[in-house]
Amino acid sequence: MFTQQLMNALAIGSVYALTAMGATLIYGILGILDIANAGAYLIGAYLGWYIYYATGSIVLAFVLSMVAVGVLGILIQKFIYSPILAKPNTLSIIPLVAAVGLFTMSSDLVRLICGPYSLSYNFDFGVTSIRIGSVVLVPAWILIFALTAVLLLILWFILNKTKLGLAWRATANDTEIAKVCGVNTSNAMALSYILGYGFAAAAGIMVGILYNSITPALGEVPSYKMLAIIVLGGLGNPLGTVLAGLIIGFTEVFLSAYTSIPIPKDAIAFVVLIIMLLVKPEGLLGQKNKV
Amino acid sequence: MSSAYVFSILATAAIFTLLALSLNIITGYAGQAMMGIAAFFGTGAYTAAIITTHGGNFFLALLAGMVVSGIFGAVLGVISLRLQADFLAITTIGINFVMAALFNSLKITGGTLGLTTSKPVVFGIRMTNMHFFIFTTILIVIVCLLITKMRHSWFGMALASIENDPGAARSFGINVSKYQILAFTIGTALAGLTGGLYAHRMGFISASDFAFVVSIQIVSMCVIGGLGTLRGPIFGAVLLSALPEVLRFADNYRELVYAVLLVIMVRFMPGGLLGDDSPVWKFLVKIWRKFVPRKKTRADLIAEQAIAEGGQA
Amino acid sequence: MEELMRVEGLKMYFGGLKAIDGFDLTINKGETLGIIGPNGAGKTTLFNAICGVYKPTDGKVFLEGKEVQGTPAHEMAKMGIARTFQISKPLRGLTIFDNVVAAAGVQEYTGIGSYFHKSHTKEVEDKAEAIIKETGLAEVANKKASDVSLGYLRRLEIARVLVTEPKLIMLDEPCAGLSNFAINEITELIFKLKEQKRSIVLIEHNLPLTMRVCDRITVLSYGKKICEGTPEYVKNDEQVIEAYLGKEDED
Repeated sequence: MFTQQLMNALAIGSVYALTAMGATLIYGILGILDIANAGAYLIGAYLGWYIYYATGSIVLAFVLSMVAVGVLGILIQKFIYSPILAKPNTLSIIPLVAAVGLFTMSSDLVRLICGPYSLSYNFDFGVTSIRIGSVVLVPAWILIFALTAVLLLILWFILNKTKLGLAWRATANDTEIAKVCGVNTSNAMALSYILGYGFAAAAGIMVGILYNSITPALGEVPSYKMLAIIVLGGLGNPLGTVLAGLIIGFTEVFLSAYTSIPIPKDAIAFVVLIIMLLVKPEGLLGQKNKV
Repeated sequence: MSSAYVFSILATAAIFTLLALSLNIITGYAGQAMMGIAAFFGTGAYTAAIITTHGGNFFLALLAGMVVSGIFGAVLGVISLRLQADFLAITTIGINFVMAALFNSLKITGGTLGLTTSKPVVFGIRMTNMHFFIFTTILIVIVCLLITKMRHSWFGMALASIENDPGAARSFGINVSKYQILAFTIGTALAGLTGGLYAHRMGFISASDFAFVVSIQIVSMCVIGGLGTLRGPIFGAVLLSALPEVLRFADNYRELVYAVLLVIMVRFMPGGLLGDDSPVWKFLVKIWRKFVPRKKTRADLIAEQAIAEGGQA
Repeated sequence: MEELMRVEGLKMYFGGLKAIDGFDLTINKGETLGIIGPNGAGKTTLFNAICGVYKPTDGKVFLEGKEVQGTPAHEMAKMGIARTFQISKPLRGLTIFDNVVAAAGVQEYTGIGSYFHKSHTKEVEDKAEAIIKETGLAEVANKKASDVSLGYLRRLEIARVLVTEPKLIMLDEPCAGLSNFAINEITELIFKLKEQKRSIVLIEHNLPLTMRVCDRITVLSYGKKICEGTPEYVKNDEQVIEAYLGKEDED
């Protein structure tokens, strides 16, 4: 039973980490809290569903959906966020308001176009469960573990081993200085969005397969929970985000399995967040801010 | 349209106007990213509702809602000192979710069933929507007068300095955190008072009335009208309260229209429709100036004199 | 000469980085003291540690004999230590005039009580007007701070300092980023303040200017004082030439 919960927590934590990764990459470069990332998660899940039913290939569903949503991300960055950020004297709350608007738009468009009811992936793994000793594994978990690991490895590789990744890290460190040094900062921004939204799309499909159900409200819980996770992870720190996603996943699963607290599962992330901000205001792996 | 219907819309618009003004104090004047005003609105609403359902006086209940919400806001203000702007935005979102969850599960707030209040009787008259509208409008006028007085005081100057540049504000001798806590406390207290009004006008409250979406609605009102001005939040609140009625024929598309409007606004006019830099507002001012010429300020006189004397260009 | 401020063994560490590492300084009433040093020597950090923006790791700061180290920046401002910023910090949404008025309220910002006192009284406006004229800001008095050039913003910084009636004026690179013409104007302004026998500490990158304006100069390098004396003395000190001037060219 305990091991079962452990695996469950790990699966949920992985999905959280992947969903929040987009918001982290975007915050790292543009410094905005992009709730609309949860819209990418939702649209990704639906696109994946249509592609899966049209082609019968789950691989194509993942790949095409990630690419399409990633491109959508670049368009949103180019035509919505960048012009807003380019305006002088913008209050920090303004991009967040734009993000909320975009997210509501995506949920509502999905509801109007695809219908308000839930759709099922009905993805057949071939086996219903895998037994290793006394532990029973759900195949969807294995898919999630494997895919999360692969995507995070790809992310690590791009950020640390490629020129584009170097540009990203330089821009995240200090946009102005990076610009002066000849770094193409707009490429770095585009990278944030294509990876961020692409990852969110993948996470959307995974959740669709895990729970075998997608609805237009799919993005609501991640939209805010993601914020708690990226703050926990130290805002803009990819490694911290993975850790924070796992911590929230574990806390949720174990608190609701072994205790009876008066707080619903989805609010736990914020309780953890508020407690942590009281103890360590700069985030889990965040550095103390230079004044 | 029956007058009862009109007054029900007016009463709602008035209550949301008051709520938008409370957010405007925190976010517009003090520049603090508050994304969870509904948590305080709800705290005031439940506090007042609990008191009147136990036989307490309506006005006393309103006052209590204001005080409890204000204390809660002060505590949040103290915490927020340690946080940067973005952390604060997220923390306030979090507080909104946690509070809504508590409203939904605590016994004292009626859990998922919510609380039912009875319409208060004042001077022997049971309050109707019309009375709520008139009472709330009086409160709005008082709040506007108090805010105008603030804008002309050193308190207003301190908030304006902090909103523009906290570092500069400190160098003028302004205790930034103290003023931020004060702004938080005042704003959240007003939100609590508004909550008490809301609870008794509606006759019934439940956790969903104070969800994060409501906070976003209030933020939208302020942003669409123009944060940091007095006219902006009032205009935005009236507009967004009337919009659902106007869009009734397209009920299915309401949220979408809302969202599209919001995105277009922040993309092209982040200062709001009636903000200082808005073309709409500038046009209105221009027309107004045709009838009422602008009174020259001391700064205008100094500049004119200097230019007339041919100061260094 | 009467002592105004004394800094003893000031240390400012950030983690392992020793930005200021045991610094002593005395500022006398009515003198203009220059602080120079290569980039990254810790000049602005020193200002921030003295003015209360940072809490010093160790050391003492005396203002007229009273220990004041670690006092928050806003309290320091009320005690008469006024500073300008290297990266100017105008209140962009306000007019130049209101910027000066905002600084004039230094003793008025008491908290809730400040709600009951009007800001734009005749007395305050007169004071602001006089300072605005003195600093050459009159022609832009009614312009928003976001709409004026850097030269005006630098003068605004100085105007805001003067209007607080400070005991000590701390200028952090008032000429950074300015044209030669604008530098001359600021220099004139500093000379004017000098004539008024004000106490000034000046951080400046422009060496000829510092040499011309200051009575005494302290040289800071890697968080430590390496030399102090008259401009003439400092100019000829070998350690300074090595650490800072490198080769003797003065633009």
